[in-house]
Amino acid sequence: MSSYHTHITDVLIIGAGLAGERAAIEASSHGLNTIILSLVPPRRSHSTAAQGGMQASLGNSAMGKGDSSDIHFADTVKGSDWGCEQDVARLFCETVPIAVRQMAYWGVPWSRVVAGTKTLPDGRVIEDTKDKEGLITGRNFGGTAKWRTCYTADGTGHTMQYTIDSIVVKLGITVHDRMEAISLIHDGEKCLGVVARCLRTGKLNVYIAKATVIATGGYGRLYGASTNAVICEGTGMALAIDTGQVPLGNMEAVQFHPTGMVPVWILITEGARGDGGYLLDKNHHRFMPDYEPAKKDLASRDVVSRRMIQHMRKGLGVDSPYGPYLWLDIRHLGAKHINTNLREIANICRNFAGVDPIKELIPVRPTQHYSMGGVRTNIDGAAYGLKGLFAVGEASCWDLHGFNRLGGNSLAETVVMGMVVGKRIAEYALGATLEYSYALVEEKAKQQQERIDSLIACRHGREDVFKIRQEMEETLMDYVGIFRTGPALQTAVDRLQVLHERSKHIGLRTSGVGANPEITAALRLPGMIRLALTISYGALQRTESRGSHAREDFPKRDDANWLKRTLAYWPDGAVLPELKYEPVTITELPPGDRGYGESSASSKN
Amino acid sequence: MLDTGISPQRSIGRNPRMDLYLDLAQLISGFLLVGFLWTHMVFVATIIIGVNTFNSLAQFLDDYYLSYVGIPFIGLVALIHVIVVCRRIPNRYQDYWRHARTIMHFDTWTWIFQVVTALGIAFLAGIHVFLVIMGWPIEADTSAARMHAFWWFYLVLLILGEYHAGFGIYRQFVKWGWIKRKTIGFALKSITVIIVALGLAALWVFVQLGGALR
Amino acid sequence: MKNRTLTFSIFRYNPATPEIKPHMQSYQLDETTGMTVFVALNRIREEQDPSLMFDFVCRAAICGSCAMLINGKPRLACKTLTRDYGSKITLMPLPVFKLIGDLSVDTGTWFRHLSIKTRAWIHTNKEFDPKALEERMDNATALEIYEPERCIECGCCIAGCATANIREDFLGAAGLNRVARFMVDPRDHRTEQEYFEVVGSDEGVFGCYGLMACDDNCPTQLPLQWQLAFVRRKMAVAGLKR
Repeated sequence: MSSYHTHITDVLIIGAGLAGERAAIEASSHGLNTIILSLVPPRRSHSTAAQGGMQASLGNSAMGKGDSSDIHFADTVKGSDWGCEQDVARLFCETVPIAVRQMAYWGVPWSRVVAGTKTLPDGRVIEDTKDKEGLITGRNFGGTAKWRTCYTADGTGHTMQYTIDSIVVKLGITVHDRMEAISLIHDGEKCLGVVARCLRTGKLNVYIAKATVIATGGYGRLYGASTNAVICEGTGMALAIDTGQVPLGNMEAVQFHPTGMVPVWILITEGARGDGGYLLDKNHHRFMPDYEPAKKDLASRDVVSRRMIQHMRKGLGVDSPYGPYLWLDIRHLGAKHINTNLREIANICRNFAGVDPIKELIPVRPTQHYSMGGVRTNIDGAAYGLKGLFAVGEASCWDLHGFNRLGGNSLAETVVMGMVVGKRIAEYALGATLEYSYALVEEKAKQQQERIDSLIACRHGREDVFKIRQEMEETLMDYVGIFRTGPALQTAVDRLQVLHERSKHIGLRTSGVGANPEITAALRLPGMIRLALTISYGALQRTESRGSHAREDFPKRDDANWLKRTLAYWPDGAVLPELKYEPVTITELPPGDRGYGESSASSKN
Repeated sequence: MLDTGISPQRSIGRNPRMDLYLDLAQLISGFLLVGFLWTHMVFVATIIIGVNTFNSLAQFLDDYYLSYVGIPFIGLVALIHVIVVCRRIPNRYQDYWRHARTIMHFDTWTWIFQVVTALGIAFLAGIHVFLVIMGWPIEADTSAARMHAFWWFYLVLLILGEYHAGFGIYRQFVKWGWIKRKTIGFALKSITVIIVALGLAALWVFVQLGGALR
Repeated sequence: MKNRTLTFSIFRYNPATPEIKPHMQSYQLDETTGMTVFVALNRIREEQDPSLMFDFVCRAAICGSCAMLINGKPRLACKTLTRDYGSKITLMPLPVFKLIGDLSVDTGTWFRHLSIKTRAWIHTNKEFDPKALEERMDNATALEIYEPERCIECGCCIAGCATANIREDFLGAAGLNRVARFMVDPRDHRTEQEYFEVVGSDEGVFGCYGLMACDDNCPTQLPLQWQLAFVRRKMAVAGLKR
């Protein structure tokens, strides 16, 4: 049967964010035929939203003097709460300076060192010296010993994505945007490509490749409230786990940010509280000092997030159609301060919520922010379980971040991993031959076509995809948030299992013809629920607190039993993931105290 | 070799700088016409001071052959202007019309009036020049008689001309960016108002005179 | 706040079902506090009509996906608050770009083509040396490059541009702004003459009528008039110097 448009290539990359495109450049530079699939045009990827920066131990700025990859390594390992692979972290820290300079060579207008003295907000005076003038500078970020976060004004992710994409255009790499991979083709040993659905026409396409790379970003949108772009639905991770052979690593490691703005969940940075803003409940009572008398509203991110949820559980949140929330108050800082020092925050409030923070309160609540877990790969980016399958960036669990990602390490990871793993992908593809059975390919495509036809014909029922999705989002928000307990996690697992069953009975309310959004959602949802189950079930089993995984009933880190990584498999027809564990690679820095005070601080701007 | 996107095929045949030349021709001819128009209005407005001032200025221009050089020159410039700006008129004016109606954007609307006023000016100014030359030399009484009889004609021409000149020159400043958009917009609106006021005053004087001198 | 009922009049057409002609369809929705067109459209899709096609990605005015004509004006739907409008809001897809369906248009293909036409990448003969320090650059220069680099390629300037609406090959403000970005970048070794070949024609900067709908409608407030004028002056000098 040849009704599917078939494309054959050396390297197939799913996802055109920074990691995917960087890997594509590497593959293409090795003379390999490369195709990138993307849900959206590359320059619309979620990578562009990263405003903060990229960590690299260049040591150019005054506060970065004496920095080295060793110090960056130590920061990363501590940040991960010893959950990361130390050989990976070492490789990463050694490579970042090269990656950041290569980005400069390609065109990123990094902010540069300007010689002279400056006074910091806390009164310290620092001096940038003449010999460093014009080199790439770095700024301060949470959880780092040195200032090493390279940035371009307020648009680091944007300039990096545009620059990388300009090289993709220059090299003439094929990009098929609005093309969604919906199933991996594999023969039990080797990955052979994907079946993809065109989001313009709804037609199925088949891509056959020597090497397939998952670069689809995080799964933030499994949660009802996430700072992530709406396309971050973990689609690539679902492809991997659905093979039954490829495990996802540490899915329970989910990073939250305390102040996402209601109802659009755009991040309000910590600057607001750093400058003196505080949180209020529905009675306009400042509640943080009740819980954290010492640090109040400025306790570490995960602590504040947990207290906020705790307070809302007492019924003290403000009710709204978008669920309960709390207030962030910065009015007392005055118009002048808000319009200058907090201008970005003020603009976000005005543009996206119509709130004038000079006179009004800002509605906020803790919001999902980053997925540490993902497709488990070795140090070469090769996925466990299938040859010819790789993963890069947030979609992967390389595992650089362990249980908590350091701010500025995600952007850095995308380009470093793209570079390092891109080379390994190229080596693999150059050494591989393309052998596949077309019968198998056809079979896989047919299965997907049947899925689509069944949904349109409502063959298995008439469940409403959006209702189930909403219930899944609420379940994760309510029971697998920042603050976890055995019973809550068990509730989540139970509910998600029911939802998983119901998701098999989805039927469309519309015709499903063309670029129909309902069928797009319906095809994704069962995979998303399986991811939600790996998160919840992994969290339920992990009876300790580590990094962002905070169990109220097991508040301490437990290195004796849990210094290991969760690997979640989904065997065909299973109702729950099968969990296995593997040891964490510790090469240099044995587990110790993170030195953050309180408990683990998650940090990302 | 850097791949800069230069297509070898395009290097033969049409002069690659033609679009630039046409753009510059539009700019320069436009500036000259605006300069002429404003000078013209100031000259005409001398009637406000008195009939004698007006007549001596006309006499002066005549004596030194300035009119004989000026009128054909401006005619030529106007012709060039007409030719080069015609390339701006869309092949399918409906597209432009639909677009303007959709986005409801002020400057986009003004451009439609730019075309309308251009057509109006071409027609009316032609008649005006013809009438002036037929009644040569320029004198206050003949002018006044004309204005008296055709005041509505001159009122329309005055407004069309100044509108076209004002927005035309505004758009050039916007395109070349010498001065900020708001600043130049304000300045040109002010100048246009002054010139129109002068024109109206002159017209009024002429119309009054027309009655008296007959 | 008194709750209003909003009526959204939305353009509908699905190229997969050409027998149903393009038409406007109305939806009613209760307005909620701080509602944006992003929130409204998602609610309409989930509660009333799951077939409604539109694009959002970042929903924070960073990615440029959601530009559409809101009451005729090109705007980013994510940062458009319903409370700034009357109770009837008309939504149309952007013109110029190919329609995918309803409010969704193919800006991606258009902009990729633009990048290819303008050769929008750094042109240099230097090789990257992984062992060397980065080349120095003035911070002021970096900021000067960043200014035009901020363009999010949403297409508002193109949709609003009369020239782009009447001639297909016009690069538009986004294209000329993109060229300006490389012109000010010392890492790019292209000469003025080489830039002239790309933008020194009516297809490029001389095709601009100066109507400035781009400047007036840019959601990121890029100084487009200034960038276009900069390119025009530079290209005039380059063309006259030959």
